[in-house]
Amino acid sequence: MERVDCIVVGGGLAGLAAAYGLAAEGLEVMVLERGNYAGAKNVTGGRLYMDPIRALYPELWEEAPFERAVARESITMMGDGAHTTVEVASDRFAGAQPQSYTVLRARFDQWFADKAAEKGAMIVPNMKVDELLREGGGDGRPGRVIGIRAGGDEIGADVTIVAEGVLGMLASAAGLRAEPAARDSALGFKEVIELPAGVIEDRWRLNEGEGAAHLFMGTVTRGMLGGGFVYTNKESISVGVVVGMAAMLQQAEPVESYKLLDEFKELPQIAPLVKGGTVAEYSAHAIAEGGIARVPKLFGDGYLLAGDAAGLSLNALVTVRGMDFAIASGYHAARAVATAKKAGDTSVAGLARYERALRESFVLKDLETSRAIPRIVENPRLFMHYPRAVSKLAESVFTIGAQPSPRLAKTVWKGARRDFLSLATLKDLWSLRKM
Amino acid sequence: MSLDIVVCVKTNPDAQMIRIKNREPVLEAIPYKVGDLEKNALEAALQLRDAAGGGTIRALTVVEGDRKIRETIKEALAMGADEAVIVADPALAGADQAGIAAALAAAVAKIGACDVLLFGEGSTDNYSGQVGARVAELLGWPQIGYAKKLALAGGGIEAERSMDEMIETLAAPLPVAVTVVSEINEPRPISLMNILKAGKKPVTEWTLADLGLDAVGAQKRIVSNLAEEQDRKHVLFAGAVDEQVDAFVNALVKEGVVGR
Ligand SMILES: Cc1cc2nc3c(=O)[nH]c(=O)nc-3n(C[C@H](O)[C@H](O)[C@H](O)COP(=O)(O)OP(=O)(O)OC[C@H]3O[C@@H](n4cnc5c(N)ncnc54)[C@H](O)[C@@H]3O)c2cc1C
Repeated sequence: MERVDCIVVGGGLAGLAAAYGLAAEGLEVMVLERGNYAGAKNVTGGRLYMDPIRALYPELWEEAPFERAVARESITMMGDGAHTTVEVASDRFAGAQPQSYTVLRARFDQWFADKAAEKGAMIVPNMKVDELLREGGGDGRPGRVIGIRAGGDEIGADVTIVAEGVLGMLASAAGLRAEPAARDSALGFKEVIELPAGVIEDRWRLNEGEGAAHLFMGTVTRGMLGGGFVYTNKESISVGVVVGMAAMLQQAEPVESYKLLDEFKELPQIAPLVKGGTVAEYSAHAIAEGGIARVPKLFGDGYLLAGDAAGLSLNALVTVRGMDFAIASGYHAARAVATAKKAGDTSVAGLARYERALRESFVLKDLETSRAIPRIVENPRLFMHYPRAVSKLAESVFTIGAQPSPRLAKTVWKGARRDFLSLATLKDLWSLRKM
Repeated sequence: MSLDIVVCVKTNPDAQMIRIKNREPVLEAIPYKVGDLEKNALEAALQLRDAAGGGTIRALTVVEGDRKIRETIKEALAMGADEAVIVADPALAGADQAGIAAALAAAVAKIGACDVLLFGEGSTDNYSGQVGARVAELLGWPQIGYAKKLALAGGGIEAERSMDEMIETLAAPLPVAVTVVSEINEPRPISLMNILKAGKKPVTEWTLADLGLDAVGAQKRIVSNLAEEQDRKHVLFAGAVDEQVDAFVNALVKEGVVGR
């Protein structure tokens, strides 16, 4: 069997970050990607948080093909025919070191793949890995991962980094993790719609080069767990809807989930934003939302799991993260493998430093802090009741009727008593303390 | 017998991935790959070499800049070429077919070991179909255009070409330059093992100066590059899943996309 030092399954951000680091350390690394090119099949909403990863590979971020630095955050709660938006702008969001950038994966991942190739990594597109090869397993133990089978060939490696993304089919088949459950998964639909830069800046009230991130919750998912999003790129916008799979399965009527995105685009507050644009890309993708409770063991004899394949993502309603975790886990995977190779020990013991490094980094720390979130957001009142109630209350405050108006305080009090002063709300508030 | 072959390989933007916007092709972020007809030429080289029982196959390419050429040319090595020779020089920017042919001919002369020089009949992007003939002329070699069958015979080469109503069989001594059409063969798929091996095969890089050339003459300027814009049909099929599938298949047949 032909051999390399390290095989990386999947040319997404986790796999490419690992390959870049390994090649820089002088290891022979081969990335196998089933898409036409790295990034071809990869979907994200939109935005990469930089502060967590800035110090990892600092030389890369200077020249990375980011879209826009996000200067303004908005979240809209959508009720029946009324909605309320909270908008937050800060000089620090898009300052000298912007905290987040919008990205388009087709461009970003290809650039990252080129960078890894420049360091000496071998990037092989159009190559789907069919199986992780193992030796000495049985009795429910996976054994040692010794390489992969792809396109009829078997290639061996000291370490295989499995960065195959959210479905984790190879890892599940090899017994390295459980299959994802509906309860821990969401489904995202997204379109990239092209608009001239000037139009984007006018419609979103942006300075040149700056961007906006806008999330929507409530009727956009018909009250199901999830929400809508709009991110502005350089000359396009990313518009999408995410909806929890379990919530969808619980509906009495089957939900044609892809229609949610069309409905979203047709809403009176979204339609003028997308008007005149050309759809350049359509995609659908699963998202892991199980949090730390669903993160499998991250290493074993001859293998590591990284990125979405390891369940490293976090949907905290107002922030959605996965790409920073993917890059950081790839970075730490590369360091762990390089060190293990030097020490001549790529067994369980030699690779354990990977999980230790992730525990000491923001990756597992942030996921641990957010342990309760996946169960909190299962509460349908968050997506059904509150967006409606907030919008109704706000609407009443801004309404002047034909009859003499009551005092403002009275209007507010009436609305609050109706929708917020209940045992259920108290319980919800109590649960939110763990967010 | 040992047969040394040079295959001229042009790398093109991946045509399947190019979108048309405002009647112009969007080339940004489109990866380059070895052209399809060049793959036919490579396959022909591999078959000729096997028939001869030995020899070296070199993939030769000429580019203006780096354009990730070292990565792209690996496809030719993974298909089976033994070595790659890259002529890269900024002075080649805008060179026309005569200029490219001058560089290729000089490179073939410098390589020296070449019994058969193979080309695709044209390139996937510009398709001028001139380069093979020009190189043969510069080298003073016999040339056969549009071969659809190739075999070794009598110490030289025998080729078939399709004329309108007949098939012409030509024989030529070595060294010879041949351009091939896509019917000639089915290029072999590239295996992972061969991709791995390709990374270890020798790659030589030359500039024009290495070939004793300083410029390659005529410059070409693209005045416009317009493409036909196709509107999507936007047909929606409703009804039960089975009905939708039937209607969809019928529509594809009607459009002539399948079932011809
Ligand atoms: C709708 C949506 C919105 C999101 N929004 C955000 C956001 O705003 N910010 C954020 O940080 N994160 C966001 N995320 C999450 C983020 O996109 C992911 O966490 C991130 O892409 C994970 O990277 P990865 O490299 O682990 O996996 P991926 O990017 O999925 O890469 C996996 C790669 O492996 C390849 N592959 C799979 N199987 C095989 C095989 N058998 N052989 C070869 N190759 C294989 C795939 O083709 C793919 O290229 C969002 C996700 C979705 C779906």
